[in-house]
Amino acid sequence: MIVDQLILPLLMVLVTLSVGAYIVAVLDRLMAGAFGAPRGGNVWLAPLTRGAWLLTQHANATEAPDWRAWRLAPALYLALAAIGLAVMPWSASLVATDLVTSVVLWGSVEALATVVIFLHGWSANALLTLIGGYRYVALGLSYILISMFVLIGVALPAESLQFTQVVASQEGLWNVLRQPLGLPLFLIVGLGMTFWGPLDLADSTDLAGGTASEVSGPPRLVWDIARAAMLVAFSGVATTAFLGGWLGPWLPGPLWVIVKMLAVLSVLLLLGRWLPRLAPERCVTLMWVVLLPLSFLALVWAGAVALWE
Amino acid sequence: MAVNWLRKFASRSAATVFPVLGRQGEAALHRLALTPGIELVDSPRHASVLLVAGEIPADRFEPLRRVHDQLPHPFAVLWFRSEPWPHLEDVTRIDALDALPEALIAAHRELLLGRRDSASRILPDEPPNPWEGLGDFGQGGEGMMGGVPYGRPMAMNMMDDVRDGLTLDSLSFRLGPFYPGLPPGMAAEITLQGDLVQMWSTQLAPYPRALDPVFFAARERPVPIAELELARAHHHLRRLFSALRLAGLEGASLSALRLARELSPGSRLDGLRRRLVRSGFFRLSSLAGGALEAEQARQLGGPAARAAGLDDDLRSQDDGYRRLGFAPVTQSAGDTRARWQQLLAEIEQSLQLARRAERDKACTERMDSIETPRGPWLEQLPQDGSSLLDELMPGLEWGDALATVASLDVAAAERSLGEAPA
Amino acid sequence: MELVALLLILLIGLGAGLLIQWLPMRHQPMPTWPQRAPFLGGGTPDSHAWSRYHVRYYPMTLLLIAFEMEMMFMYPWAVVFVEKGMMAMMEMGMFLAILSVGIVYAWREGVFKWQ
Repeated sequence: MIVDQLILPLLMVLVTLSVGAYIVAVLDRLMAGAFGAPRGGNVWLAPLTRGAWLLTQHANATEAPDWRAWRLAPALYLALAAIGLAVMPWSASLVATDLVTSVVLWGSVEALATVVIFLHGWSANALLTLIGGYRYVALGLSYILISMFVLIGVALPAESLQFTQVVASQEGLWNVLRQPLGLPLFLIVGLGMTFWGPLDLADSTDLAGGTASEVSGPPRLVWDIARAAMLVAFSGVATTAFLGGWLGPWLPGPLWVIVKMLAVLSVLLLLGRWLPRLAPERCVTLMWVVLLPLSFLALVWAGAVALWE
Repeated sequence: MAVNWLRKFASRSAATVFPVLGRQGEAALHRLALTPGIELVDSPRHASVLLVAGEIPADRFEPLRRVHDQLPHPFAVLWFRSEPWPHLEDVTRIDALDALPEALIAAHRELLLGRRDSASRILPDEPPNPWEGLGDFGQGGEGMMGGVPYGRPMAMNMMDDVRDGLTLDSLSFRLGPFYPGLPPGMAAEITLQGDLVQMWSTQLAPYPRALDPVFFAARERPVPIAELELARAHHHLRRLFSALRLAGLEGASLSALRLARELSPGSRLDGLRRRLVRSGFFRLSSLAGGALEAEQARQLGGPAARAAGLDDDLRSQDDGYRRLGFAPVTQSAGDTRARWQQLLAEIEQSLQLARRAERDKACTERMDSIETPRGPWLEQLPQDGSSLLDELMPGLEWGDALATVASLDVAAAERSLGEAPA
Repeated sequence: MELVALLLILLIGLGAGLLIQWLPMRHQPMPTWPQRAPFLGGGTPDSHAWSRYHVRYYPMTLLLIAFEMEMMFMYPWAVVFVEKGMMAMMEMGMFLAILSVGIVYAWREGVFKWQ
């Protein structure tokens, strides 16, 4: 029983996390190559050799960091990603932890991500990291509401806050079609919570790496892995909430999940390479004035459709 | 054993290079950006190799020492077309641009395999101010804010915010001259409140930017307009490279660089322009600030002035250009966005002129007044305009501020040292 | 049991993150003081970065709290929504409408600007 209910879920999450983070790194390199980065070297090996290099590089320190917070932040971010991966179902029965309130739990992961990223910027006690963290909070506060409304939208037809039920409710029609506004809005949230590409306000080039500008060696490796793992966890949740999770003909459920997750990841990484970084002020206005009302609309739409059905 | 294996594996990773640019060291940067196996990084913490490219003026030695010591162990230092300091051990000097990428990759590899010792630190291992043992608890000071805990004072409120007058702590610091987001060689003393610039005073002007030799030739004899215009487009494209990189558009920045490398009268800007428009660069990016007033624009001259609506362009006084149907393009807004639109328009215009001039074998006719890519050259070459930033920066958000600096070509122009760029 | 498993995953995730950092760093000496100075491209700061800084989006955070409170009602509401039908729809519609007025007001007041 212990093996079934504790060890197996744990292994499942750890394997998804490490394989997923690796795949994100490979995909992003492929994407960079397609967008004009100089090609060379082995794309499949590069993430691993880079990881090895970071393990051999010494960790940097700043003059008076908040040591505990500084070392905890990457680990916490990784743990949050693990939680996200734990609640996403691979099939009707294959779920690491099938909580009845998994949607709420994911919501709290999103909220805590903001805290952790700010912590990473603040705890280094350096100017550029601080600005990165500071800016990120504005973004974090903006995307969280959009995400909530969109997720509530998928909970309506399921009459449940459980991700497995959410998938089950998509038996007839996937939410991506039933609630057309949902997935695009949710993808923006995904870019936000992993501060990827256009929403990379935390670790941006104008801040020489932002919250990560003072870290090197192993802590940086953990931070990078956590960020990639969070992207994987997010794509898992997006798959579950909008793309019908394990539902699909011919293939077994978990395979469908993998295919759909890869599709979501590719879209996110593509957007990341394609779009410029948003100006923080513009980003906040866009989120509150345009996207938030849109997410209201998505919710009303979802409600109307759920009643009509 | 395991560690050995790890190092061997790590040695196959891309060489992470933090470039410290000296005078006219940008050529190395542009070359490396397009080289596979090399990753240019923005922070020395992310690098294993410090590349000193170009001669560093003596007034920037102290900052170089600081950056040198900020690379985490183990790291190597390479000097490119620059004289290594005599007291350093184990220094590598490279002069050939073609040999540079390999040398960097080799340094990275040898470092990780343990065949090369990490460079030794230059500065003494002391905190910025003595603090240990001071104060009641040895914390380096008295009370809440006094003293220098860990060698530095705490931030204090010094001024009212420029936007809403709220008095909170402001952070003053000196940025540069080796900050990748600023033009090479530039340093400024900045005061921030939140992420908003309150005060900006330029302390070190950016290095003069090398002008293509053809502009100097044009002062002495008529030169083919095609050549002149290609050199102009080349100059602008390389500026576009750094700005797009800053804006988080790495792919587009590299295609600007590639376009610059393979520039010919047949080159087209359409692809890059389409890419920028479709990615929303003009709408989403931090391009709102930095509007020049007429007087400031006139002072600076060149594309920045034309972006602010002035149609001063010495090319319109040249009969050679007039026969090609040249008329200056202008924008009206004068802000960062307008400057990039202007620059794209000018690159396009230059390519067009080059095509027509090649067909007609057109040459310049006036030698006393040349429009350089940086601005008009009448009696003297365009001079440094970085003091303009002191007026322009206050009130801008950090991202807007850096984007504004990138969009303004404030560096003076000078003759290129050594070999001419292609 | 699910919660125990979740806790275990949380702890192992956290532990792994800390272990990857701690294992290679055990034997590393403390970096020198010059290395520890914050990176400013060769420049130096006048003070520590920790400060009472200006949160320019502060009014926005207050707006967020209003919405977050609403979320608490929304979770249970979502579960019974289909069962209660139109009534639930109208109730939440009114709630959202009131909050939307708040956003419009906040926008007019320039809350979403870095002021």
